[in-house]
Amino acid sequence: MLADKIQEVFNEPGCGINQAKTTKERKKGCSKPLKPGAAAGGCAYDGAMIALQPIADVAHLVHGPIACLGNSWDNRGTRSSGSQLYRTGFTTDLSELDIVHGGEKKLYKAIKEIVQQHNPPAVFVYQTCVPAMIGDDIEAVCKYAANKLGVPVIPVNAPGFVGSKNLGNKLAGETLLDHVIGTREPEVSTPNDVCIIGEYNLAGELWLAKPLMDEIGIRIQSCISGDGRYNEIAAAHRARVTMVVCSQALINVGRKMEERWGIPYFEGSFYGVTDMSDTLRTMATMLVQRGADPAMIDRAEAVIAREEAAVSKRLERYKPRFTGKRVLLFTGGVKSWSMVTALEEAGLTIVGSSTKKSTKEDKEKLKKRKGEEFHMWDDLKPKEMYRMLRDSEADIMLSGGRSQFISLKAKVPWLDVNQERHHAYAGYDGIVNLCEEIDKTLSNPIWRQVRLPAPWE
Amino acid sequence: MTQVNEFPVSQNADKVLDHFTLFRQPEYQALFKRKKDEFEFGHSDEKVAEVSEWTKSEEYKAKNFAREAVVINPTKACQPIGAMFAAQGFEGTLPFVHGSQGCVAYYRTHLTRHFKEPNSAVSSSMTEDAAVFGGLNNMIDGLANAYSLYKPKMIAVLTTCMAEVIGDDLQGFIANAKKKDSVPEEFPVPFAHTPAFVGSHIVGYDNMMKGILTNFWGKSEDLETPKTEKINIIGGFDGYAVGNNRELKRIFGLMGIDATILSDVSDVFDTPGDGEYRMYDGGTTLEETKEALHAKATISLQEYNTPQTLQFCKEKGQEVAKFNYPMGVAATDELLLKLAEITGKAIPASLKLERGRLVDAIADSHTHLHGKRFAVYGDPDFCLGMTRFLLELGAEPVHILSTSGSKKWEKQVQKVLDGSPFGKDGAAYGGKDLWHLRSLLFTDRVDYIIGNSYGKYLERDTKIPLIRLTYPIFDRHHHHRYPVWGYQGALNVLVRILDRIFEDMDANTSVVGVTDISFDLVR
Repeated sequence: MLADKIQEVFNEPGCGINQAKTTKERKKGCSKPLKPGAAAGGCAYDGAMIALQPIADVAHLVHGPIACLGNSWDNRGTRSSGSQLYRTGFTTDLSELDIVHGGEKKLYKAIKEIVQQHNPPAVFVYQTCVPAMIGDDIEAVCKYAANKLGVPVIPVNAPGFVGSKNLGNKLAGETLLDHVIGTREPEVSTPNDVCIIGEYNLAGELWLAKPLMDEIGIRIQSCISGDGRYNEIAAAHRARVTMVVCSQALINVGRKMEERWGIPYFEGSFYGVTDMSDTLRTMATMLVQRGADPAMIDRAEAVIAREEAAVSKRLERYKPRFTGKRVLLFTGGVKSWSMVTALEEAGLTIVGSSTKKSTKEDKEKLKKRKGEEFHMWDDLKPKEMYRMLRDSEADIMLSGGRSQFISLKAKVPWLDVNQERHHAYAGYDGIVNLCEEIDKTLSNPIWRQVRLPAPWE
Repeated sequence: MTQVNEFPVSQNADKVLDHFTLFRQPEYQALFKRKKDEFEFGHSDEKVAEVSEWTKSEEYKAKNFAREAVVINPTKACQPIGAMFAAQGFEGTLPFVHGSQGCVAYYRTHLTRHFKEPNSAVSSSMTEDAAVFGGLNNMIDGLANAYSLYKPKMIAVLTTCMAEVIGDDLQGFIANAKKKDSVPEEFPVPFAHTPAFVGSHIVGYDNMMKGILTNFWGKSEDLETPKTEKINIIGGFDGYAVGNNRELKRIFGLMGIDATILSDVSDVFDTPGDGEYRMYDGGTTLEETKEALHAKATISLQEYNTPQTLQFCKEKGQEVAKFNYPMGVAATDELLLKLAEITGKAIPASLKLERGRLVDAIADSHTHLHGKRFAVYGDPDFCLGMTRFLLELGAEPVHILSTSGSKKWEKQVQKVLDGSPFGKDGAAYGGKDLWHLRSLLFTDRVDYIIGNSYGKYLERDTKIPLIRLTYPIFDRHHHHRYPVWGYQGALNVLVRILDRIFEDMDANTSVVGVTDISFDLVR
């Protein structure tokens, strides 16, 4: 069953990359085959966990030995405006005897104790390698528990060994489609309702976009999963439009919601000025097409014009400080194209960018704007990254935490623009935040010290 | 028995409450209220609050800075405590304070409260008659008693104000006492006049250091003194001396330098709990002190603690160098380079590694320090060293204040500030006190205060977190055991500052359901 599910997500027709593949390639799956002996990223369980854990009022129970929860407990700065239950680490902490006798009873007891003590609107149960190998049927246990306890108990069947983190993201999406979305009706429903998919509210980023949407009259009916609530997501099928933010991770959810409930979706981004504006514009237009008040479009345009002018004014002050500064951009999930435009507007020179998660269209846009000389990498090896930085081909690197030390050891300033960042870079305000952080990082006196040899040398 | 109180008494032998909770009990609260209402006749709470607010204003600041006579919460101590500290760093040395005994009790408790160690000093216990007729007899009896009771190897004599006001002449008194066989003729009794009404503890340190060296090296100028390859180091009055001196010795070992720390208190203020009471422990030996005359150079790590001493060393033909409490990468670099230059020894690879690790640690954490505004107060050298390190971190020193700071010091701080764009908002306040700092903190806010335990009242008033990094630290234990000098020391300082920043961040995000949105596991 799990194998079928995996094949299904690999076949995702909404994914451009997937569609460009031959049938044979598609069968192999979209995640890169893991190379034994080489450094690798997170597993499928991790991917599922990070995709769903931002649902704040749910108890996330990890069924497995301590490793899986112990190393991942509350490890991302995703924000909740209410319940903080998502930060509590629940696990069955399987021990040797549990593995001999099977962990299903323990799992049921754990679910029961959670429901008795915390009374959450739902319990998400995460499968991990060990119970999957000994044959614990978490789906059956969840079903039994849900009946017995009267609370939705959702099995998230993405044990680590099935594949990569990205696959885990997708399986998490499937879980929501199979067990959550469409199981409740919303208390209120308006023609202005949107569902945002793949936005995790890291460092509170969603809240930089939300006030603008409020002003335009767009109502975030649900967000999967940043600052999410179980009941909102269960009623997400009543949204009028969905926006898919991190398309690589949860495009399947957007497409299937369209298929099942006829909700049109678009891929958008909150990063960078142009993308932010496009997102607001598209969202308003699509809502209007589905029956929202046409004045919404004018309101959106007014907000866009005002914010763009304000940002452009606020970026002015960075221009003299940024002149001649070269940036290497490894944005990961964040759309490169839009970031490039925004940072260049602030006076920075972008010397290269990763395009691993960019769409073909994005790459074309980049090529057009920057010319053929511009470096674009789908997969730049750390060694090469280090060489470029060491040979001072850039003044600063923006990337995720994983390449942090490549930069620091090469004596080049580095700024976190990925999942563990502490500042919100989304929306118009976010770009100003980003420039402020870049400015600080570039101007910190320690970099001079880092680059100088010890004075006695 | 009839109950007299309106409230039952909360405490009894089965349930004894400590002061944290006892005085919050209803019977005490009622008592306090009655006292306030019926006897104190103070201003109304509103009026008190109004005046309290006013003390935070620009208007009040102007008045505060116009103060001419009163000093409120000074960041300095008196000459004798500095002199006593200097003397305690020599082998078997008993400080003998000529003057009233109350003063001596103060110095001892002050040092003990910081180091959590006993420390010895005696007094000539002058009383009213001594003040009228002079303290010679007290000196004669005192030296004899101290010598026979405590068996020191050296007695270092210093004075309190009382002896200074009546003008007792130490040199003459000590000579007289020796004539009267209080102590043997050859027994070393160096001395220093240390009136508290001149200068502060750092001047006292200088006076005593010079006094002890004069005792062993002779008074007259002698530029032709033969020299060895050894060098002398003087740490100055330093609350971190235990950790710092040991760190210095480790560095000397790594570099292969033969150095004498003049006044090494590291063992005196850190004796083991092994059942043996050590009235004296460690310290610079008297032999080393004598030999130190022939060192090729003397390096002072706190310029403002040693002007006279360094001048004296110069007069003995030594090369001298001075630092201002060297903290951080560049300051440590300079110290090591100076050591290498004077001794001709190379800086070993192991220190280069330590340097690289420190730089790496700063780079890892700099975003949390960047642009944070700091107020720094303490001794002049500490303020200089700290300001420099903060600038190195990309932090912004804003108010730098030292009651012992002079105009020259202000200029020196300004020069350091001018050397970095992060120093543009900074200003030095010499001769000012913590009440001035209070006004500065209210009218021009900072993110953190760096100082000593006395800063806790400022922290409470202003709600600006305090980082304790200089003497005295009474309300936190054992910081003095960790160095703040050298690359390792700089790492300790960095961690202390970062810890406070993160603790503050957690404290500001810890209210469940209100601020805990950002109560993050990973910072």
